[in-house]
Amino acid sequence: MKRGLSLQAALAAYRPDAELAPVPELDDPDTLLNSYHPDHLRGSMTKLTIGPNAGADCQRELADLLQAEAFIDEADLAGAQVTDTDVLVVGGGGAGCAAALAAAERGARVLLVTKLRLGDSNTVMAEGGIQAAIEPGDTAQQHMQDTLRAGHHAGDPALVAAMVGDGPEVIRWLIHQGMQFDQTASGDLHTRRAGGMTAPRIVHCRDYTGLEMMRVLREAVKQHRGIEVWDQSPVVELLSNERGQKCVGAVLGSLTDGSMRIVRTRSVILATGGLGRLHLNGFPTSNHIGATGDGLVLAYRMGARLCELDSFQYHPTGLVHPPHLYGKLVTEGVRAAGALLLNAHGQRFVDELQPRDIVSAAIIRECREGRGIHTDTGGVGVWLDTPRLERSQPGMLQQQFPKLLARTHHVGIDPRLEPILVHPTLHYQNGGVVIDVNGATSVPGLYAAGEVAGGIHGRNRIMGNALLDIIGFGRRAGIAAAAAEHDRGPKKITLEHVNRARRDLTLAGLPLTQRAPRILPAYTAAGKDIWKP
Amino acid sequence: MTETARDIQPVELLINGIPVRAEPQMTIVEAAWAGGVPRVTGVGCLEGVCGSCRILVRRGKEVNVALGCETFVEPGMEALFLPAPGTDRHQYQLTDLSDGWDIQARFHEIFPEASRCRHCHGCVKSCPKDISVEEGVALAAAGHYREAGEAFLECVMCELCDSACPENIAPAHVGLFSRRITAFFHLRPPNLIHKLEEIRKEQADKKEQP
Repeated sequence: MKRGLSLQAALAAYRPDAELAPVPELDDPDTLLNSYHPDHLRGSMTKLTIGPNAGADCQRELADLLQAEAFIDEADLAGAQVTDTDVLVVGGGGAGCAAALAAAERGARVLLVTKLRLGDSNTVMAEGGIQAAIEPGDTAQQHMQDTLRAGHHAGDPALVAAMVGDGPEVIRWLIHQGMQFDQTASGDLHTRRAGGMTAPRIVHCRDYTGLEMMRVLREAVKQHRGIEVWDQSPVVELLSNERGQKCVGAVLGSLTDGSMRIVRTRSVILATGGLGRLHLNGFPTSNHIGATGDGLVLAYRMGARLCELDSFQYHPTGLVHPPHLYGKLVTEGVRAAGALLLNAHGQRFVDELQPRDIVSAAIIRECREGRGIHTDTGGVGVWLDTPRLERSQPGMLQQQFPKLLARTHHVGIDPRLEPILVHPTLHYQNGGVVIDVNGATSVPGLYAAGEVAGGIHGRNRIMGNALLDIIGFGRRAGIAAAAAEHDRGPKKITLEHVNRARRDLTLAGLPLTQRAPRILPAYTAAGKDIWKP
Repeated sequence: MTETARDIQPVELLINGIPVRAEPQMTIVEAAWAGGVPRVTGVGCLEGVCGSCRILVRRGKEVNVALGCETFVEPGMEALFLPAPGTDRHQYQLTDLSDGWDIQARFHEIFPEASRCRHCHGCVKSCPKDISVEEGVALAAAGHYREAGEAFLECVMCELCDSACPENIAPAHVGLFSRRITAFFHLRPPNLIHKLEEIRKEQADKKEQP
């Protein structure tokens, strides 16, 4: 990488009122993506050799985890305490809470287990909003076309149709749970239009949409008599029937005392979220500390088919400075409101409202070619020109983006006065576990909802579709899982699928040294040797 | 990294009783991890919105509470990660509150302590988000739920105010209750309702002509 300007030099040269030349034409988006998008980095991809996706492309660090050995074998199950429930929900974010509430509303006994604390998730950090086609002139069909086009037509039309069709009802359900949304003077829901949308369709609660959603859903789950919650209880392994072909429960490890517990159930819903904390290709991430791709690992070992394992979203505007917020997100809403991107020389270099993959590739190009801004701590990025936006509409940052100002307030950085240093950050897993419109995976008894599931966003997600996805498919999975029939066959719980995966690994000549799921990143201290106190 | 940054002295402090040497720019969470403090799993978003990393901080004789991902290390500081709060005693289901005329009575049944505020400012001092907690509780106790809820817009539900309150008011839950019933009873957006009605008619038409 060529060296650009230092943060101090670039800040000294920056003028919020400088004249700007027009953006250069984007000659060929495909060449830009192929040359600079992290999915196309040389050595980043490999092919899977075992499991249902054998032969498919997969990001290398993820492939290592999908083709790893389990933490436990049959000996660990002896003596473990057994709990029975109707529906087991794994994950305490938005999708898990929606699934638990939907299943409990239909009379199922629900146990929700979560690795950290209920609500510690990516949902709580979502800022921009949630999409729903509610404005006159907008339609579910338009929403569907926008979603498929932005995803490079890799999404499953049946899943997308289900999601966009749920949109208005999802908003009504959230209001019924007690969630607030911003309104216009006449009481309509306020809508915004962001990258890749043909109509204003984002509804939101200031730039705290995810926080508002999560605190409401967490309270609803905690207060529901039909739902029991276990915190600090990651799933270490799923359980299968004696043929290894149906999911019949899970083994939970306790982060507080290291003990193992068995849960037997008729359906398991994986709502474990994404994998930003694997820091693919060495990137920082916007994700919470528990986003380690556990659900993908568990589902794959159980035999569930996955999709789009070579496609990840690197959000264009992750913070580079201050260092303790490295990788954390500045919402796309700020660009939607008119903020520009400038390189170290104060020049625009891309249309800021191109899809996220294009804008990210363009920022990486500027940094690699010596037009980036470097910090003392080894970070590099470009400017997001918030002072210019504030000059054009005084007061708008405080009014519409209070979180943006509050987050850096305590370290003395004011985005109204100095531009924000940003660089693409690993944000979202575009693919995941293959599901049908009821959230059912290819393994009986196993459901998936939210970021862990795939097939909806294709190879690039647009703003506001993640929050719609988690509530829409969370509820669908919850309803389907609650309706699942009791299995009348023998009630044996085994690790037959683990034995099968081990045989496959050995036959393929792969090492049995790496263990997965990861549970927590190694740098958290707790993530080192997690089951060896 | 520049030469000047390298020369900076490490900061020595205690985290959960364990001596830790940290770099000056580190937060308490980062310092705990770097220093190998075990079992620090009360951590979530790392950007101050999930409210998980609750800590007790002692600087000399001064003791306060804060969030570990937003608090920076200082020489001689002592930090202690607090356990997650237990289940709140104030139980209610929104669907049981069907009558809006009844809501003030029901609020005082659910939160009987809310009208007993001693104005000790413990909640205000403990709030890492600078929320005017005491005023918010007073507004809710007087039935002004919309304004009370607005005061708690930036609340991350760390519940540090709850542990600071000598009357067990549970201010964070009062704030959330106020926000939730405002949406539950009063948020009726014409554009959303119009669209839902359109969808309902479409589906009814489809059923009539199979």
